[in-house]
Amino acid sequence: MALGLVLGSLLPAMALGSTAQAKDKVVFHVGILGEGVDSLNPFLGFQAPSYEMWGLTYDYLVGYSMTDMSPEPDLATKWKTSADGRTWTFTVRSGVKFSDGVPLTAKDVAYTYNRVLHGTVEQSNWLSYLTGVTSVTAPNDTTVVMKLKKPIATLPLLPIPIVPEHIWKNVSEKDIKSYAAEPSGGKPVVGSGPFRLVQGTADGSTFKFEANPDYWGGAPHVDEVIFQFYKNDDAAVQALIKGEIDFVEGITALEVKSLQGQPSITAHNGNSPGFDEIAFNAGSIDVKTGKPIGNPNPAVLDPKFRHALGYALDLPTLIKKVYQGGGLPGTTIVPPNYKAYHWEPPADQKFTFDLAKAGQLLDEAGYKKGSDGLRTLPDGSPIGTLRLAARSDSPTSLHTMDYFKQWLSDLGIKSDVSTYSSSQLTGVIYKGNFDAFQWGWYVEPDPDSMLSYMTCGQRNGSSDSWYCNKAYDKLYNKQHVSTDQTQREAEIKQMQEILYRDSPYLVTAYSSIGEAVRSDRFACLVPQPNPGGVWLEQYGVYNYIHMKPVSEASNCDSATAGGELSGAVKATSSSDSSSSTGPFLIGAGVVVVLLLVAGGITMMRRRTTVGDRE
Amino acid sequence: MSLVADPGLVSESEDVQTRTRGYASYLGLKVLGAIGSLMFMLVVNFFLFRVLPGDPARTLGRGRLTTDAQKAAFNKAYGLNQPLPEQFWTFLKNTAHGDLGISIQYRVPVSHLIWERLWPTVLLVGTSTILATVIGVYLGIRGAWKRGGRFDKISTSLSLTLYSMPEWWLGLMLIAGLGVGFWFVPGIFPTGGLHSPDVNPSSLHGILDTTWHLVLPVTTLTLAYLADYSLIMRSSLLDELGEDYLLTARAKGLRDVQVRNRHAVRNAMLPTTTIIALNIGFVVSGAITVETVFSIPGLGLLSIDALQAPDFWVLQGFFLVASAGVILANLVANLIYGWLDPRVRT
Repeated sequence: MALGLVLGSLLPAMALGSTAQAKDKVVFHVGILGEGVDSLNPFLGFQAPSYEMWGLTYDYLVGYSMTDMSPEPDLATKWKTSADGRTWTFTVRSGVKFSDGVPLTAKDVAYTYNRVLHGTVEQSNWLSYLTGVTSVTAPNDTTVVMKLKKPIATLPLLPIPIVPEHIWKNVSEKDIKSYAAEPSGGKPVVGSGPFRLVQGTADGSTFKFEANPDYWGGAPHVDEVIFQFYKNDDAAVQALIKGEIDFVEGITALEVKSLQGQPSITAHNGNSPGFDEIAFNAGSIDVKTGKPIGNPNPAVLDPKFRHALGYALDLPTLIKKVYQGGGLPGTTIVPPNYKAYHWEPPADQKFTFDLAKAGQLLDEAGYKKGSDGLRTLPDGSPIGTLRLAARSDSPTSLHTMDYFKQWLSDLGIKSDVSTYSSSQLTGVIYKGNFDAFQWGWYVEPDPDSMLSYMTCGQRNGSSDSWYCNKAYDKLYNKQHVSTDQTQREAEIKQMQEILYRDSPYLVTAYSSIGEAVRSDRFACLVPQPNPGGVWLEQYGVYNYIHMKPVSEASNCDSATAGGELSGAVKATSSSDSSSSTGPFLIGAGVVVVLLLVAGGITMMRRRTTVGDRE
Repeated sequence: MSLVADPGLVSESEDVQTRTRGYASYLGLKVLGAIGSLMFMLVVNFFLFRVLPGDPARTLGRGRLTTDAQKAAFNKAYGLNQPLPEQFWTFLKNTAHGDLGISIQYRVPVSHLIWERLWPTVLLVGTSTILATVIGVYLGIRGAWKRGGRFDKISTSLSLTLYSMPEWWLGLMLIAGLGVGFWFVPGIFPTGGLHSPDVNPSSLHGILDTTWHLVLPVTTLTLAYLADYSLIMRSSLLDELGEDYLLTARAKGLRDVQVRNRHAVRNAMLPTTTIIALNIGFVVSGAITVETVFSIPGLGLLSIDALQAPDFWVLQGFFLVASAGVILANLVANLIYGWLDPRVRT
């Protein structure tokens, strides 16, 4: 046993020695919490971390700006639209090479898009971005021509990774549904991006990327990026404090607060382009027959009732208590991150926490209080108990609904909170057996798809509120094919106004993501949107390319001026001191343990002899 | 003389024959039973998970599969659009060929996925089970032999305390204490993961690195399992202590240690053997909480992730492996019993 202890204590010392040898390489260790990578094949994966992996491995035709995620040149240096908006011509950068040396040309771009258009499972991830595209061709190595049936307003944003034709043409339609696109036989995955995946597998917990020194946008300043997926917040936070990782993503606001006190760590809550909402059953129907299904309470079917409840939500309290200060009170389904599209309700329309006003609106709509103090339906029959659904996998969801229940009861409305797992709740929603639930969405830089979820056609599809409004649909269809940006922005704002009035969703919060970095090691991280946004899991991989080790951080890249995490934080590098005294302390620890064990054994021996003599 | 001896010889060889035949039929029966249970589990697994609420395309593809065409393409690729009986038939046919299907969540063959996750789990839970068995049995014997002594009091209350601690809490305490360090004690063990990201796990360095990473999780599980074995061992040894044969052994002049090891412990081992056999069967089921706390990519985590989708094929594959583990361990235990104790065969 003592021998085992000695061996056990020696192991870390040996491992420490080995990491010291690899010190000349600059390695950025990232810890990510929550969901992992579901597939490294860009045609298959759905989860956010998978996008991060593809972003490092591949390039995109059009990129996103750091300030507001508007379209920016990437592989395409410029683009133009025909007068009727039905032909797009992209000029592709020349001199770009895949990691195996084969040049990337417009043909690879056309190949990728055609694979989506004419593929099977490839469609599942990307078809919505190419809906209405009739053909994509590459007349020469630097030109891509895209023909459309009708103009598509979301172009030129195309978040589809460009894959090398010479590799993927060997992947048949039959094989692609389980084609892993992982490093094999010691060879990295072929792509043109700033990094190459050299180690990692779908569902794995570690991924290793090496910098691409020949990257067309300039070689990254770190040599390796290593991702480690954690399933437990505390362990990840401790790993950051200890210095095992340099960055942690997905921690809670409370953890951010505690890390802000650490000298060599910078932590923040980055505004993420997402929102949380309380959604109502606005009219569940069988889409084929048009007949109502499920059993929504008649009250929640009424837009006036739902709108009145908007005044019963104390959002600042929710942000403080439920979100621990991480996040902002919500208004509409387009987050303020997207300035051009976000509609901010004017003061006279904006919900405030005003139970008297909520009560007055309910009275006006016919939901008067009965003799028992409970509100009734306009026909005088009791409302009964509203069924509120919360997700068991999210404490935020549970707490939000608990507060909501309290506010409803203050208004004289009874309710019950039930909890479901996310997949269970999905089932409940599609059967229409609910009155309200709590959930959230991430909104892409173009809000088109988010706006589409509220259209009539998405009922029994991506819509979860069963909302349907012909005026809204009309505006949606109009903006979807709009070629006039100013007009489109006005239409999108008008749509948000309709939703705000009809209130199928009461948007409770614009969520944030807790992030922390070892600012004693890395600098020049830029938030997206700048300022206020997130450092990791952005649209694009700007930070991986432009971040620098602190020693080189005296001049961050010029494009990053303003709002970035500069190298100003000069903290004593605690990890260095621990690694130099580490072996000594370990040695001391071993001695102490040995003494204890020896002492224990001696005492036991003595006790044995005493016992034997009895 | 020879006439007297002959019948004896004949009857003895006959006895040996019936004994072997008895064991063969016992063995055959047990194996058949095990195969039967496995087939039963196979069918139950399929329908059990189809009853689960949830639609993988909707759960996984939330915000991604936005059009009907996209959803249809997804369902078609992964066989989710087929009617249930057809899916069942495909499942039986493929399983017979050793093909467990493609994971809906990770889009790789399920057998590949399970194989990859099996080793971390076996390393973690297997090592802890062995360590807990050895230490637990030792503590049980020592405790029972000097019942009420200081060793007994300390070990019993300590193992019970550890037993009642939630595993995740114990794990977190170990991380905070030995992973991060406190006061002047340095954090010498890593806080999570199976091995460092940049080592080859099959090299010598990789093996040492993995061992180093597994110290805390294995310690957590071992401490949590300890009472399982120590308490059973202690109580079954206590039962033996009053037996007359121990008095006889002592009367023969055997030393205390000999009486304990050769006589008492041997008989007291039977219940503990049952527990060990059963727990070894459960090794492949994983240890969800400890895998979560230490972020070890084992089967426990895989099954939890699969339940959320729900990833039918992974769930089926996982439960097949898990139930096969238990059934196999049971079968082996039964066979050993039958060999050791002929009374069991009837």
